[in-house]
Amino acid sequence: MKFRVTSAWRYPAAVGFVVTATLVADIFYRMTGSSRLSMIFLLPVLLSAFLLGSGPAYVAGAVSFGTYLFLVDPRYELSFGSPEDFNTLFVFSVVAGLTGLLAGRMRDEAARSRSRAEATEALLDATREFSDASDETFIRERLAQRLSSLVHGPAFVSDEPGVEKPGWRVRPLAAGESELGCAAWSPARGLSSDEAALAEVLVDTGAAAVARARLAAGKTEAETRARTEDLRNALLSSISHDLRTPLAAILASASSLHQFGEQFAPDVRQDLAATIQEEAQRLDTFVANLLNMTRLEAGGLAVQRAAFNLPEVIARTVERRTTAGRHPVLVSTPPDLPEALGDPVLFEQALGNVLENALRYTPAGSPVLIAAATERGGQLCVNVKDEGPGVPPEDIERIFVKFFRSPGTARKPGTGLGLSIARGLMEAMGGQIEARNRQDDTAGLSVTMRLEACP
Amino acid sequence: MSLTPTRLLLVDDEPQILRALTPALAAGGYAVETAENAGEALTRMAADPCEAVILDLGLPDMDGKDVIRRIREWSEAPIIVLSARDLESEKIAALDLGADDFVNKPVGVGELLARLRASLRGRDRRFAAQAVASFGELSIDFAMRKVTIEDEEVKLTPREYDLLRTLARHTGRVVTHRQVITAVWGPEAQVDAQFVRVLVAQLRQKIEAEPSRPRILLTEPGVGYRLRVDDER
Repeated sequence: MKFRVTSAWRYPAAVGFVVTATLVADIFYRMTGSSRLSMIFLLPVLLSAFLLGSGPAYVAGAVSFGTYLFLVDPRYELSFGSPEDFNTLFVFSVVAGLTGLLAGRMRDEAARSRSRAEATEALLDATREFSDASDETFIRERLAQRLSSLVHGPAFVSDEPGVEKPGWRVRPLAAGESELGCAAWSPARGLSSDEAALAEVLVDTGAAAVARARLAAGKTEAETRARTEDLRNALLSSISHDLRTPLAAILASASSLHQFGEQFAPDVRQDLAATIQEEAQRLDTFVANLLNMTRLEAGGLAVQRAAFNLPEVIARTVERRTTAGRHPVLVSTPPDLPEALGDPVLFEQALGNVLENALRYTPAGSPVLIAAATERGGQLCVNVKDEGPGVPPEDIERIFVKFFRSPGTARKPGTGLGLSIARGLMEAMGGQIEARNRQDDTAGLSVTMRLEACP
Repeated sequence: MSLTPTRLLLVDDEPQILRALTPALAAGGYAVETAENAGEALTRMAADPCEAVILDLGLPDMDGKDVIRRIREWSEAPIIVLSARDLESEKIAALDLGADDFVNKPVGVGELLARLRASLRGRDRRFAAQAVASFGELSIDFAMRKVTIEDEEVKLTPREYDLLRTLARHTGRVVTHRQVITAVWGPEAQVDAQFVRVLVAQLRQKIEAEPSRPRILLTEPGVGYRLRVDDER
C-alpha cells in the first residue's frame, strides 16, 4: 500500500541510478582494473530505497544484480568466474534485498506520517476557518474550494440533496437530524483511502459549521424580532399614555363643567376651560410630532426655506409650551440678531420638542434657559439649557436616536421621539442640532440648534 | 352626606389631571388632597389618613401596585385605581392586591364619582356586619343562607350561594376571577376561569330578571365581577 502517488517516474529513476552506477563502475574498472565493484552497485539500491521507496529499491537491486553479473569476469556474460564472485553476488543480493526492504519501510513510514500530519493540518486549518466564519454561503464556498484542492478535481457544495453520478462522490451535509444539502467531488485520479477519509471528515466539519451558522443566524433573527417587538410595545404604551393623559384631562374638565358648571366659582370654571385648551394644544403637538415622524421617515416633508424672525418664533414656542407654569423659562435674545433662514413652522416644532424635553427633566421651580446668538461662522444658534439629570457621556449622541431613552429617565413618561424628530426637522431644513452636558456650574443638558443666518 | 366631608387623596403625576379632577370631586362633596408621587401619597396617608384614595398606577418613583400593597398593610380605605393602562393583567394585579375598583383614563367625572360612592358605601356595608344584605329586590340572609327576590325564596346550589355571598361580602369592590375561585373552590383549586363564567351564568338565571342584561351581578370584562350598589348610575 503506497501512501504517496504511485507515479511511474520512480521506477525509471531507480533504473537511472543503476545506469549511473554502471557507468561509474565501468570507468573505475577501466582505470584500476579492479573487479571489486559490488560496493558501487550497492549505491543505487540504497539510494533508490531511501529516495524512492522499497519497490524501486527491489528493481534497482535486480537490475544492479544483472548488470554486475554482466560486468564481472568473464565480462559481458551472464555468468561468474570464481566462487568469490559468487559469494560477493550472493551477499550483494541479500544486502540489497534487506536494505531495500528496511529503507523502503522507513521511507514509506515517514511519507505516511508526513501525509497524516498534512491531513491533520489541513483539517485543523479548515476547522479554524469554518469556526471563524458566521456566513453560511462563505462556509459552503470554502468547503468546495478545499475539497477541490484535496482531490485535485472539481467539487461543489449544494443546499439540495445530492444525486449519485458516475465519477462523482456525493456525501450529504448532515448535522444531527437535519439535512443541509450535499457535497460532491470528482477526483482527478484514484484517491488513497486516507484521502477519501479526509474528504469525508472535511465535509462533516463543513456540515457542522453550516449548522452552527444557521443556528446563529436564526438566533440573531429571533433577537431582532424580539427587540422590534419590545420597541413596538414601548411605543404603543407610550403613545397611549401621551394621547390619553391630555384626553383624560380634557374629558375630566369638560364633564366637570357639564355636571357642576353652575356650582363652580368663576375662577374654577376659567381654570377648567384653560385646562381643556392647553391639553387640546398638547394633543395637537403630539399628533403633529407623530405626523412629522412619519413624513420624515417617508421623505415626504415639505420644507420651506425662508427668512424668519427667530426671537418671535422662540417667544411663541415658549408661550405655547409652558402654560402649566411649573418652570420659569428665561429667554435671552440679542437685539441685533439677523433673520434666520429655514422653515419657521418646523423650527418651532423642533424647538418645542427640545424645550418640552428640558421641561420634563428639570425639577419643578428650576429655570430653563434659552439663549439665541450669532456665531462666528455667520450661523445663528439657539441654546436650551435645563437643570435635569443630564445624560451619561456615552449616551449623549444616542438621545437623538428614535425611541432611545436614557436609562435614568425610564420612569418618566415619554416616547423617546421628541429629540429624534427635532434632529430630523433641523437636518431637513439644513440646520444642525447637538447636545452636551452643561459646562457651567449647574448640572443639566445643553442642546444647541444651528441655522443659517439670512445674508 | 355626612356633615364633615369625606377626605379623599388624589394621586397622579400629571398636574393637569389633578387640576382637572379636583373641582368636580370637591363639588361632589369631598375634601380633596393631592399628591404627585408615591412617596408623597404614602407620607400623607400615614400622617393623616384619608378615607378614600384615587390612585394612578404609573407613578414616577414607585409602581402603583406597591403603593396599594403598602396602604393595604394598615388601611381599609377604598382605593380606586385610575390608569391609562388598559392591560387587563395590571388591573387584576391591582385588584388582587386590595384595590376596590378601577377606572380607565380618560374618564368622565360622573362615572368616577359614582364608582367612588359605590366603593365608600360598600366599605360601610362590609363594616356594618349585618346578617341580612339587600341589593334592590334581592336580599341575602347570611345567617339562614337564604336568598329571596321580592320576598320569594330562590333555591341556590352551594356553589351559587358561595359565589353570591362572596360578591355580597365584597360589596362595592370588583372581585377578580382568581378571588372567586379561591372563595368558591378553595385556594388550592386549579379551576379555569371558564367554570366561573358558567357558575355566574347559572346564578344570573336565578336572580336576574333578564339574565342577558344583568342589573345586579355585573361583569367587568376580562377582570371579574361585582354586585351593583343601589345608588350607582
